[in-house]
Amino acid sequence: MPGKIERSIDELYQDDRERADAVAFDRRTGLHRRGFLGGTGLAAMGVAVGGGIPFAENIPGGLIPASLIPAAMAQAPAPSAAPKGPQYLNFPGKADKLVVLGERPLVAETPEHLLDDDTTPIDKFFIRNNGQMPEAAKDPDAWKIVVDGEVNQKLELTLAELKAKFRPVTRRLVLECGGNGRSFFATQARGNQWTNGGVGCAEWTGVRLADVLKAAGVKPSAVFTGNYGADRSLADASKDAISRGVPIKKALDPNNLIVFAMDGQPLPNVHGGPVRLIMPGWPGSVSSKWLTRIWLRDKVHDGPGMGGTSYRVAINPMVPGDRTDEKNFKDLESMPVRSIITSPMNGTSFGKDVREVKLRGAAWAGDLTVRRVDISIDFGATWKQAQLSAPKNPYDWQRWTATVKLPNEGYYEIWTRATDSRGVMQPHVAGNWNPQGYGANPMHRVAIRIA
Amino acid sequence: MRRSYAICALASATLALAAGPVAGQAPAFTPRDESPEDYPAAAGREQTFYACTPCHGFKIVAQQAQTRQQWNDTLDWMTQRHAMPRPSDNDRKVLLDYLETAFPARAPRGWQNPFQR
Repeated sequence: MPGKIERSIDELYQDDRERADAVAFDRRTGLHRRGFLGGTGLAAMGVAVGGGIPFAENIPGGLIPASLIPAAMAQAPAPSAAPKGPQYLNFPGKADKLVVLGERPLVAETPEHLLDDDTTPIDKFFIRNNGQMPEAAKDPDAWKIVVDGEVNQKLELTLAELKAKFRPVTRRLVLECGGNGRSFFATQARGNQWTNGGVGCAEWTGVRLADVLKAAGVKPSAVFTGNYGADRSLADASKDAISRGVPIKKALDPNNLIVFAMDGQPLPNVHGGPVRLIMPGWPGSVSSKWLTRIWLRDKVHDGPGMGGTSYRVAINPMVPGDRTDEKNFKDLESMPVRSIITSPMNGTSFGKDVREVKLRGAAWAGDLTVRRVDISIDFGATWKQAQLSAPKNPYDWQRWTATVKLPNEGYYEIWTRATDSRGVMQPHVAGNWNPQGYGANPMHRVAIRIA
Repeated sequence: MRRSYAICALASATLALAAGPVAGQAPAFTPRDESPEDYPAAAGREQTFYACTPCHGFKIVAQQAQTRQQWNDTLDWMTQRHAMPRPSDNDRKVLLDYLETAFPARAPRGWQNPFQR
């Protein structure tokens, strides 16, 4: 019951809303707070607030229930085998600073400061799986995809044929998990607790989905796609892990690609290789990995991951945590506007004479573009406009830079707020709560010290 | 050492197919072993662990913070949409007791929503 259980360290720092806090003080350090008061966690907590932490009795009352302290202090060091703090990824070809959200299925996010490249390198690109990753294809060029359903002529194409018959294009496109930002909901929503790291912007090479659909001949009866991949359900290997789709209008957008290369390399298996969809701007789950089939349907697709509350948001706004009426939900389509600070890293300390800090970041807005990015060093009381670059092509993210002046030594938070091309801004807090936690796009903030 | 519980025996039967890699291939990624002891100690920990882990890692469970009612809804979601065998009323109570104790909704601080209990 809320209130009966003592607060854990992640709750203590909940209002800081930062990656380190969300992950470093993982709830499972235990009901006994072993991970925190036992030693490691306390040190980590000291790091998070930028200095030594007085021992438990000095932590302000109300943050940790007094009744907890004696018992907690008496705890022996944790016998638990569970890793404390963030669990970093260990996977061939991937950066070891990606943060694992789960291993079965494998899910890992990219901390904001690792998104500092204009083009996200493969090793830093986040990983999202819904099921069992297939084994890497032995003969990629023989990989087959099928286009069928409401088409004049069913197509069966190998990857080699796809490359030969259609003109390849390379585009820098944002791919973002539909649940990106989920951890920012104050009433926790169900699912992987992404901070802002379920996103990357790689250079994808492939053929236009629209060209392939036109080659098959889209019948007027086609209203939706059903996208299929080779990944199997963890619960039942005879079933698809996920199969989502989009309205035919979105499917025919010339920016959708059937991709076979990422940042100039053959598409890695972990990112859906040898061939996947990229339907930019919408939840990443429509961009099927290990693409096997595009089924044009005469009705809204009903594969796993469609309907219910999956990838869906409330039509009439709901009280956070309320029971779900499934009739009150609609698909999340375009992702909301978001900006991140990619340098400096959250928790950076500068010398005490530093009065100016250069910032870098990125901003994007689903199907839209970003009109401006503003920066605050005083918790949103005043704002300064950043220099914002144009996208290289549609659905590219927009890099931004700014320089902030800091009046004194001390602790600062730098906040970033993007405004999309329709004038919609990021909110201070995640709004429009929904049970599976989509659309959380509050302003990103990093803490720095001048000391 | 997996203990067998009625609920997870059922789940395991359904999952025999998924237990191994697809079509006899080596898996593309092998998750590390985890055990109930990795998670907060409370009544029902083992039964809950083995009820959930036939299909997915327990870390996704431990990431959540929900009220008993939300956990109940989550169990319904798992049985209705994700092939989890429906637990008996007794088993469901054990699971909910553990989940509610180990991974409760966060206590509200600061601004509070008057519409939330």
